[in-house]
Amino acid sequence: MTTPGPPDGDHATPTTPDGHARRPTSHRPKLGAMSVSLLDNLMRNTLDEGYAQVAERRATEARTGRPGRSRAVSQALTAATLLLVGVIFGVAFRQTQQDAPASQHTRDALVHDVEQRSRESNELQRQAESLSTALADERDAALAQSQAGDATAHRLARLEAMSGLDAVSGPGIRVVLGDARARAHTDPVTGEPVVVPPDENGRILDRDIQSVVNALWSAGAEAVTVNGERLSTTTPIRAAGDAILVDLMPVGSPYRIEAIGDPATLLPNFVDSVAARRFETYVSTYGIEFQVERADRLSMRAATESVARHVDPLTDPSTTATSDPTPTAPFQTRDNADAPTPGVPQNSDTPAAGGGR
Amino acid sequence: MIPALALIAGVALGLLTEPHVPIGLQPYLPIMVVAALDAVFGGLRARFDGIFDAKVFVVSFIANVLVAGLIVFLGDKLGVGAQLSTGVVVVLGVRIFGNAAAIRRHVFRA
Repeated sequence: MTTPGPPDGDHATPTTPDGHARRPTSHRPKLGAMSVSLLDNLMRNTLDEGYAQVAERRATEARTGRPGRSRAVSQALTAATLLLVGVIFGVAFRQTQQDAPASQHTRDALVHDVEQRSRESNELQRQAESLSTALADERDAALAQSQAGDATAHRLARLEAMSGLDAVSGPGIRVVLGDARARAHTDPVTGEPVVVPPDENGRILDRDIQSVVNALWSAGAEAVTVNGERLSTTTPIRAAGDAILVDLMPVGSPYRIEAIGDPATLLPNFVDSVAARRFETYVSTYGIEFQVERADRLSMRAATESVARHVDPLTDPSTTATSDPTPTAPFQTRDNADAPTPGVPQNSDTPAAGGGR
Repeated sequence: MIPALALIAGVALGLLTEPHVPIGLQPYLPIMVVAALDAVFGGLRARFDGIFDAKVFVVSFIANVLVAGLIVFLGDKLGVGAQLSTGVVVVLGVRIFGNAAAIRRHVFRA
């Protein structure tokens, strides 16, 4: 660094005739390029040259005996400038604070709103679940009081399991379907690693999921979830822009599609299906991910209750013949029983479904 | 001591009074801050070197702030405001670092 000597006249650095302190860098070979000397100068002379010059001048003045500026004036000047510097700092701080928080405030408020609303919605969801559990318990207790009620309860449990309105668990299969990924391999010629971008056709679309789900249904699945979203009879699987929505909830790749069903038939039936074979082909053609595996125990929660568009009272002859102890006859799609149904034996044609958690 | 107090008083003044900055001047405020920082660090280093001079300090401060603002203003008019701002910040940043290093050597002798 060019630290000029102290201003007591003991010059360490020689001066050129025009009073400039000659830089110690002058012995360095000139590289010729303007930019180099510019950068060199920038890096080496970080101090304003004025200080050194004034120091020189004052040193000569001290020798010739001329008086310098008074100390008080110097102090006042410095203080005034620093005051100004401080004001600039303060104002700039205020300004940036004012500018940034305008957007930050809005964002924070929105985040707060979202968090509060989702808390409320979670709370309401819990409330609804406990209420429907209570309702199901009441209903089962009422139904258990008579023979006809028992039969109705059976039928109800079966219908609920089939329509996805009951939490179920049991053995089944799991299908993992994923978008094609970028593949990295080594270029055989250059030996450089190459990343192959995924095939655009290797993107899983909503109709791919639909066809897998339909194949599972026809292979004998009794309950199906996509990434944990239980499918009821009316659950939509559709695309919104680039996202895939299952029951209006966005799901992302890889898609885990689980199905509960008879382990002996579900897996072979599904693997033999047209859809499964097509996806096997897509694995080699487009590089999508497609795996089918047996799952010993799958638990699925109840699907969101769909709004009933059409309801009929159960017209089971055994129910209508006797005097019904429950004036509120159970409707086909009005219940969301997320609770074990004590006293209701497992129905024989829903071996996997039923017996909620 | 007095300069340090003046600096603190200035910051307090700027924070508390919230002077209105004209819209046209607002983009130059950050650059002015960097230029002012450069002048302050230069002055501090000169003080440690024992060659501080109030006039040089004042003039370097005002000139720094004005020239930095002017360069950015010109850049804005020419459509290269962002690049010139970067240039100014880089140059002043290098100088601030150099001076801070010199001050550090003076203070810690290392």
